[in-house]
Amino acid sequence: MIEPLMDQILIALGMGILGAVVFAAIGLISGSDETTTLAPLTLLVVLLGVPAPGVLTFFLAGAVAKHMTHAVPTALLGIPGDTLATPLMREANLLRNLGVPHIALRKMLSGAVIAALIAVPMAVLFAVMLAPFGDTIKRTAPWIFLAAAVAIAWFSKGRLAAVLALIPFVLIILGLQALTAQHGVKLTVSYFLGIAIGPLIAALFAMLAPAERASMRRSEVRTFSLSPDVKSSGGFFPNPFKVLDPQQSRWTAITAVISSATFVFSPVAMTVIMGEMVGARIKHVYHRLTTVLTARNGVTESTYIAEALIPLIAFGLPLSPVAAGPAAPLFNAPPRFTVDSATGEVHNLHTLLTTWEFFGYGMLAVIVAILIAYPFTMNYAYRAASWVSRKISHEAVIATFVGLILVIGIWEGGLLGLLVIVTVGLLGGFLSRFLGFNIGVQFMGYYTAVLSVPAMIALMGG
Amino acid sequence: MKPELYEVWGDTVDPRHLLYSIGIGAVVSLGTFFTAQYVLLGWVESAQMARAYAMLVGILGCLGGGALSASLFKPKRHVVVHQVDPAWRGQALIDLQNEFGDLGRLADLPPQTIAELREMDLYDLFVDYEKGLAAPASTTAPDGLRAEGGRS
Repeated sequence: MIEPLMDQILIALGMGILGAVVFAAIGLISGSDETTTLAPLTLLVVLLGVPAPGVLTFFLAGAVAKHMTHAVPTALLGIPGDTLATPLMREANLLRNLGVPHIALRKMLSGAVIAALIAVPMAVLFAVMLAPFGDTIKRTAPWIFLAAAVAIAWFSKGRLAAVLALIPFVLIILGLQALTAQHGVKLTVSYFLGIAIGPLIAALFAMLAPAERASMRRSEVRTFSLSPDVKSSGGFFPNPFKVLDPQQSRWTAITAVISSATFVFSPVAMTVIMGEMVGARIKHVYHRLTTVLTARNGVTESTYIAEALIPLIAFGLPLSPVAAGPAAPLFNAPPRFTVDSATGEVHNLHTLLTTWEFFGYGMLAVIVAILIAYPFTMNYAYRAASWVSRKISHEAVIATFVGLILVIGIWEGGLLGLLVIVTVGLLGGFLSRFLGFNIGVQFMGYYTAVLSVPAMIALMGG
Repeated sequence: MKPELYEVWGDTVDPRHLLYSIGIGAVVSLGTFFTAQYVLLGWVESAQMARAYAMLVGILGCLGGGALSASLFKPKRHVVVHQVDPAWRGQALIDLQNEFGDLGRLADLPPQTIAELREMDLYDLFVDYEKGLAAPASTTAPDGLRAEGGRS
């Protein structure tokens, strides 16, 4: 009895360390979007047959580590580390102009540590409170997805345009599914990857069109001003409660709790709103900048943790923007994890782990990520930022992702898989660029196509 | 001749280097994937597992292609180490004021933050700022009133 448990814990620990190391490195590369990186790698871990606890710790430790190291380009180079770092840019830049980017960095990291540790128990608590409604929600899942897709579209930048654009987008997915089915090919990953990597595919196509190409022309290389290295006090592992003052720790804790509860909202929106809420209550500008930054980076952690854990524990259905996007493979990764469209029956981490296991492995993942990413970033931020910006060309980053598209597409469906990635990516990329039909809405569109549409057809046929 | 530069996916690239990099990425990643698949299908019993492992090797191939491109093509970035001039801090303060209006009082701050400001050599900057405000006192009166009735 004890031995299998020890095995599970060791696997979970190992996968947590792997996720934290890999995503701590990815976090340093500016503009490496969470969904584009977390979804495919987590999917890989799922499909390779890693036991359920290892899958969970890999994802969570990866997400937590990434949202720590993303503070490095954000604070030191003035470019957002990833999508969730964009709401941190203003405060980070103002502190950079004051000549204290290392303070911005240290505050962000400490906020992340405190919020991540709070978010796991909070998410489990909220999930347990919601669990009694789980069965009802599962039965009505196809309709909930439809409503969620419309709601998430309405609250995206595109508003009504995004809601209406759902219709052609869903139709295209249905059409592609019918086409591949004719050749006996069933694809899932290719859709996820196409959606996640759409902006790159759209940009590469735009390069080929003369008019678009002209507008992308630049006369100068971009100048990045790297802030100098400053040795800070506090040793190798500074106590986050000493880096922050009591007021900042308190605000980080409060915003972490609130943003854990509001798991259906977009993480970017929550990061912005929570920052505004804190900022409005602090008078002195320096204190306001540092406190808002602390709380906001804390929210980037707590939203990711809660939005993945709550739907996993309570429903087993991807009913949050994070669950539908970066965490999607934890819910749906056929043939291993499945969500049945008609019955709402699920087979994924929801059925494989108990609530206590979610809590235990969740805490393990967060602690592993903190032990790896926090001291690394605190001590080597300058050297890492300098190395990445001087050595890793953007061409190389693009080459890596193009390779990923080719390998995943051909692996899943041969030429058809590749064509689906390109088609969905091009369409999604342009819809996102011109209508604000963002990646989260596109993922909900995909779920509408596979879950809601069959139910709608059954209703009309019956 | 100056190289052509384009902004693609958030950063500047040289289109020739981009083309070569994509070629390298494609060849290396697919090359490793197909080689791994060929070898593993003979080795591993389950064809599905063989293909899954081949994908893993293929992803390592993606990283290999990226690393090769990174070693061949240098980044198109100009990285300067940006030392903040004390004179610029005054400018930064003016920017802050334009952005937020009133900057608040040092008296509102907890002692820990005051110590932090001293450590960063920012304390005097804010002291001078407040002295500057104290001179034309009449303009700040409404703020003073609001501060008194404000939150703790």
